[in-house]
Amino acid sequence: MATEIETNGNGEGELYGLLAEFDTPGELVEAARKVHDAGITEFDCYSPFPVHGIDPAMGIKRTILPLIIFGGGFSGAMGGLALQWYCNAHAWTWNISGKPTWSIPANIPVAYECAILIAALTSFLGMWIFNKLPQVWHPFFRRDRFAHVTDDAFFIGIEARDRRFDQDKTTKLLQDAGAINVENVYLDPDPAKKQMPKWITAFIVASTAFALVPFAIAAKARNSKSTEPHIHIFPDMDYQPKYKSDQMMDVFADERANRGEIQGTVARGWLTTDDLFYRGLETSEAGAKWTTAFPKTYPDGRPFVVDMDLLQRGRNRFEIYCTPCHGYDGRGNGMIPERVKLTGGLWQARNLIEAPDKDGKGGVAVQMPNGQLFNTISNGYNTMMGYAAQIPHADRWAIVAYVRALQRAQNAAQTDIPADQQGSLR
Amino acid sequence: MSTEAAVVHEPGKAREAFRAITRDVSSVAEAQKPHKLWLVALAIAVTAFLIGVYSVYVLVTTGIGVWGNHNMVDWAWDITNFVWWIGIGHAGTLISAVLYLTRQTWRVSINRAAEAMTIFAVMCAGLFPLLHTGRPWFAWWMLPLPNDMGSMWPQFRSPLMWDVFAVSTYLTVSILFWYMGMVPDLATFRDRCAMQGKKIRAIIYGVLSLGWRGSARHWHRYERAYLILAGLSTPLVFSVHSVVSFDFATSQLPGWHTTIFPPYFVAGAIFSGFAMVLTLLLPLRFLFNLQHIIKQEHIGAMCKIMLGTGMMVGIAYATEFFIAWYSGNPFELFAFRSRAFGPFWWAYFAMVSCNVLVPQFFWVKWVRNNNILIWVLCILINVGMWFERFVIIATSLARSFLPSAWAHYHPTRYDVGLFVGTIGMFVMFFLLFFRFLPVIAMSEVKGASPEAHAGGPATKGGHH
Amino acid sequence: MSALTKSLHPDDKVKAGKLGSGMVKVGIGLAALFGILSIILGAVHGDNWKRFFYAYVIGWMFIVSIPIGMLWLVLLHHLVRGRWATAVRRLCECMTLAFPVVFIFGLPIIIALLAGYSDLYYWNHPDARNAALNPHMQHKLSAWLTPFWFAFRFVVYGAIYTGISMYFAKKSREQDDSGDPKISDRMRIASGPAMILYAFTTCALAFDVLMSIAPKWYSTIYGVGYWATSEVGAFSALALLVLWVQRNGRLVHSINEEHYHDIGKWNFSFTFFWAYTAFSQFMLQWYGNMPEETVWYKYRMFGEWQWVSIAILVGYWAFPFVFLMSRWTKRIVPSLVFFSVWQLAFHWLNLYWNAMPSYDWEVTYEGTQKLVQGPLMGSLAHHHVGLSAVDFTVWIALVGVLIAAIGRNLTGNLIPTKDPTLGMSLAHEQL
Repeated sequence: MATEIETNGNGEGELYGLLAEFDTPGELVEAARKVHDAGITEFDCYSPFPVHGIDPAMGIKRTILPLIIFGGGFSGAMGGLALQWYCNAHAWTWNISGKPTWSIPANIPVAYECAILIAALTSFLGMWIFNKLPQVWHPFFRRDRFAHVTDDAFFIGIEARDRRFDQDKTTKLLQDAGAINVENVYLDPDPAKKQMPKWITAFIVASTAFALVPFAIAAKARNSKSTEPHIHIFPDMDYQPKYKSDQMMDVFADERANRGEIQGTVARGWLTTDDLFYRGLETSEAGAKWTTAFPKTYPDGRPFVVDMDLLQRGRNRFEIYCTPCHGYDGRGNGMIPERVKLTGGLWQARNLIEAPDKDGKGGVAVQMPNGQLFNTISNGYNTMMGYAAQIPHADRWAIVAYVRALQRAQNAAQTDIPADQQGSLR
Repeated sequence: MSTEAAVVHEPGKAREAFRAITRDVSSVAEAQKPHKLWLVALAIAVTAFLIGVYSVYVLVTTGIGVWGNHNMVDWAWDITNFVWWIGIGHAGTLISAVLYLTRQTWRVSINRAAEAMTIFAVMCAGLFPLLHTGRPWFAWWMLPLPNDMGSMWPQFRSPLMWDVFAVSTYLTVSILFWYMGMVPDLATFRDRCAMQGKKIRAIIYGVLSLGWRGSARHWHRYERAYLILAGLSTPLVFSVHSVVSFDFATSQLPGWHTTIFPPYFVAGAIFSGFAMVLTLLLPLRFLFNLQHIIKQEHIGAMCKIMLGTGMMVGIAYATEFFIAWYSGNPFELFAFRSRAFGPFWWAYFAMVSCNVLVPQFFWVKWVRNNNILIWVLCILINVGMWFERFVIIATSLARSFLPSAWAHYHPTRYDVGLFVGTIGMFVMFFLLFFRFLPVIAMSEVKGASPEAHAGGPATKGGHH
Repeated sequence: MSALTKSLHPDDKVKAGKLGSGMVKVGIGLAALFGILSIILGAVHGDNWKRFFYAYVIGWMFIVSIPIGMLWLVLLHHLVRGRWATAVRRLCECMTLAFPVVFIFGLPIIIALLAGYSDLYYWNHPDARNAALNPHMQHKLSAWLTPFWFAFRFVVYGAIYTGISMYFAKKSREQDDSGDPKISDRMRIASGPAMILYAFTTCALAFDVLMSIAPKWYSTIYGVGYWATSEVGAFSALALLVLWVQRNGRLVHSINEEHYHDIGKWNFSFTFFWAYTAFSQFMLQWYGNMPEETVWYKYRMFGEWQWVSIAILVGYWAFPFVFLMSRWTKRIVPSLVFFSVWQLAFHWLNLYWNAMPSYDWEVTYEGTQKLVQGPLMGSLAHHHVGLSAVDFTVWIALVGVLIAAIGRNLTGNLIPTKDPTLGMSLAHEQL
C-alpha cells in the first residue's frame, strides 16, 4: 500500500501533530497498539463508530463515570425522600385518607424517579464534561480528509507536544503500521483565528440578555405601585354573575340586593327555645322566674357541668369583657372608672362581690339570682350595654359561674378554707 | 485455540459498506425537494393538528364541560388517551435500551426512529393530564415550589403526583438518550453539509453535534454513559407505566384494584408501542428505500415480540378473571361480567379480538413476511389497546358499587377532536424528524455491521 | 457486538462421567438423613404434623422453583435465538429434568389432602365449610379447592412441566449426534407455545400450592411474584452447579467469567424484578386498605414477623442489588458463590415468609363448641416466627432430593457439542 507524506505548505503556523489514515478498523487497532507500545501518550484514534478492541490497545483506563453516576442516583433517591418528608411530614402535614404523613410505601415511586432522573442527568452531563465537549473546533478539522472521520475513515492523530514525538520517526512508525496516508497538521498562523469569532460572543451575550427580559418584567411587576386593578389573564371565577349583600339591584324599588330577614323564619342555629339556657328563665304555668341554678344541658345535649374548665373559661371571658369597668377583682374599679377620675369625674361600676351589709343594703350582685346576672350580661343595665352580640350564651354562663366564684372567694369564712391550706394564712 | 473472524473483507471494501450506510441514511434528509407523499402526509397531519388546537382552545376557554366526562365517569377519553400514548412511547425505550442490554444488534436499524417516536408520544401523552386539570395554567402548582399559600406543598402520596414525576423523568431521560445517540450522526451531517458547501446547515448541525470528532477516548466514555443510560432507562420504562397503572390500582374500584396491573400495563405498553413503530416505519421504509437497513427479519422479530407481549396481556386478562371469581368479591365479579355484557360490551369485544386474537396471526411465517398485512394488524392492535384502556376506565366508573350511581357516557366532538389533534401532532413531528434529523443510527449500524471487524487479526498480511 | 466464534477446546472434558452419580449419592444421603430427622421432629412437634407439612410445602416450592426457573431460560434461549447461554444450556436442561422426581416428592402433600388431612390447607378443614363463618369462601370450596381437583391439577402441572422439559432436553441431546440445525429450528418453533403453557402452569401452581394457604386472601400478581423469586433461586443454583462442575474438571475451557457475568446479571435483574412485584403487591394492598387484602400484610408488618420482613427487604433486595450492580462481583468466583448461596438462602426465607405466618390458626370456643377460624386471624401475639428445627431439616432433605434428581440426569455431554450457536457462546464477551 503506497503512503504519502504531505509536505507543509508555506505560511503555516506551528506543527500541531500528525494525522494518519487507515483503511480498516482492525488495522487501526493494531496501529494504535504499536503507537501505545512505543510509549506515545498524547495521541488519539478517530473512527465513525467505536472500534472493538481499541480501548486496551490504546491503554485507555476505565472511566470513573459509573461511580459518579451511582453517587448521583443515590443522592437523587435520598433527595426525593427528603423532599417528601419535608413537604408532607414536616412543613405542612395533612391527613389524607388516613395514611401516615411519613408513608414510605407511598413515597417510594417519587424517590425512585428522582434517583433515575439525577443519575441520567449525571450520566449525560458527566460524559460531555469529562469529554470536554462541546468543543466545536479542533486543529484536525483543518484537514479535508478528516471530514470523512464521521463517514468511513479511521485515523490516528499524534500531537507534537508528546515527549516521544519526532516528526520523522513518528511518521515512519505510522507508515509501518499500515497507514494509507500520513500528513502533518499545522495550526493557523493567524492568532486572531485562535479566538472565538466576535459575532458568536455577541450572539451569546445578546441572547442571554434577551432571555432575562421576561424575568426582569416579572420582578418589576411584583413591586408595582400602580393603582389599576391586576390584569386578569384568566379571570377564573373572580367575576361571578351573582349579587353580594350590599350591592345595588334595580329590580326592586329600594334598589337593594339585600332583602332583609324573611318574616316568620329563623336562621339555622338561631332557634333559641330553651328559655333556661338562652334567657336564664325557669318557666312554668305560674310564670317565669330567674333561675338560681345553672342550665342542666347545653342545646346540643351535652350536660352542663360547673367544673374547673368552665371557671377558667369564665375567668378568661370576664377578664376580656368585664374587667374594663368592674376590675379584675370585681369591685368596680376598672380602667374606665380610673380614667373617669382622671378627667375629674367620679364613677364606679357595680361592685360585684360585696356582700349586703347589716341593714341589707348593697350586695346587689351577690343577691341576684344566676338568671338575672345572665340577663344583665346579655342586655345590660343603666350605663352598662348589653353584651349579647359579643359573648355567646355558653360563655355568659361561664362568666356567671366565675363571678360566683369571685364572690365566694371574697366573702368566705375561715372555715371555708380547705384543711390542708389553713396553715398558709398569716 | 483458533480464532476465526466471521467475515473476511478486502481492504477498501469495508469502507464502501460504511459509505453506503452514510449515503442511504443521509439522503433522506438531504433531498432537495421533499418526497410528494411526505408533503401530502404532512398536510394531513397538520390539518389534524389544527383540529386539535381548536379543540384545546374551546376546552381551555370554556371548561371541561365541553368533554363528555361527568360526575360518575369522570375519567374517559382523556385518561384513556394519556395511557395509550404513554404506552406507545414505551416501545422506543424498549428498543433502545432493553434490546441494547440484551445485545440484540438488529435494533440499530430502528432505534433512532423508535426513540423519536417515544419523545413525540410522551409529549402527546403529557397534554392530557395537563388539560384535564381544568385550569391548566395552574399546572405549576404540581411542582414543589415555595409559594404564598403557606407554602402549600404537593401531595406526594398521590399516584397522580407520582405520574408527574414519572412522566417528566421519562420525557427528560428519553430526550437525553435520543440526543446523545444522535450526536455522532449529527456530526456526520455536519461534515457532509460542509463538504457540500451548505454553510448554514453545517453550522446548525455543527453546534448540535458539539464538535464531535469520533475520538476513541470520547467513544470510551460515550459507550459507558450510553450503557448506563440504557441500564437506567430499562427500570424507568417499567416504572413509568407501573406508576400509570397505580393511578387505577391504588383505588378500591372493582376492576381497577388488582395487584397485577403494573406488569400487565408494562406488557401492554410494549405491545402497543411496537405496533406503532411498525405502523410508522413500514410505509417510510418503503418510501425511502431503506429495505436493506431495516430488514425483513427485523420486522419479523418485532412481530414475535408483539405476539409475546400480547400473550402476556392475555394471561393477565385470564388471571384477573380467575381471581375475580376466586376472591368471592361480588363487586369484582360483577365488574367483569359488566365488561363483557354491560353497556360497553362492544368495546370489550373489540379489545379481546384485537389484543388476543389479532396477534395470533403472527405465528404464521407468511404473515410475518407480508408487510401490508402486518401494517393492518398493527393498526388493529393499537385500536385494541385503546379499547382496553377505555374498557378499564369507563366500565368500572359507569357501573360502580351503587346502582343509583350508574351512568351513561358519550364522548363529544371535542374529545374526538383533541385525540385526532394529538395523532396529527405526533405524525407531524415524526415527519419533520424524518426530514431533518438522522433517522437511522448510522454510527451504530456501522458498528454492528460485519465490516466493523474488517482488517482484524485474521486478515493480517492481506495488504501492503 | 462480536460475531466471533470459537470452537470447543480439544482438551476440554465435556462428558459427565461419574459426576452425576456422585451427585445422586450426596443427594440421597442428605435426603435420607435429614428426611428421617424431619419425620422424628415432625412427630415430636406435637401439632399433628402441622409444622412438618408447612415446612414441607415451603421446601417443596423451593425445590420445584429451581427447575421452573431454569426451564424459562431454556425456552427463552430457543425463542430469541440466544447465543451466550448455549454453553450452559445443557446444565439447565439437566436441572429441568428434575421435574418428575420433584413432583413425585410432592405427592406426600397430595396424599395427605386426599386422606383428609385438614391442618395444612384451611380449605380442607371441616370448619371452612361453615357458611356463617366463611361466607365468601364457599363458592370455591366445591368447585376449585377440593382435594380431588387440587390433586388433579397437581398431576397436570407435573405432566406439563415434565413434558416440556423432556422434549427440549431430548431434542438438545439429539443434536449432539447429528448437529442438524433443523433441530434448533424445531426447538425454536416449539418454544413459543411451550412458553405460553409454562406461564399459565407456573401462575396456577403458585395460586394452588402457595396462595391457597391463606384461602381468603388473593393477589393477581402472586404467580408472577413466585416466578420472579424462582428465577433468582434458579440462577443462583445454576451458578453453583456450573462452578461445581468446573471444579470437578469439566468444561473448564468452555465456561468462563463472561458467562458467570451473564448469570450474575440475570440474578441481579430478577432480584430487582422480584422486588418490583413484591413492592407492587404490597403497596397496592396497603394503599387500597381493604381489610380482606391487608390482613395478609397485617401479620407481616406488625408483631414478630416484621423483623423477617425487614430482613427480606434488606437481605433479598437491598444488599444484593447494590453489590451485584458492579461488574466485579459477578465475575470473581468467590463473590459469585457468595451471592448465589446468599440469594438461595433468602429465596427460601421469602417462601417461608409467604407461607409460615398462616401457620397459627385462630381457634375460638362457643361454649364447648370449638370453631377453627383459620389462618391470619386473631391477635398478633399469637403469630410467632418460631423458627423450628423441622423447618430446616425438611428443607435440607428436599434439597437433597433435588440434588439427586439433577444428578440423575447429569450424564453424557455436559454441553451441546454440535449446537450451531455453541461457537458464539464460547467466544462470548461482555460489552
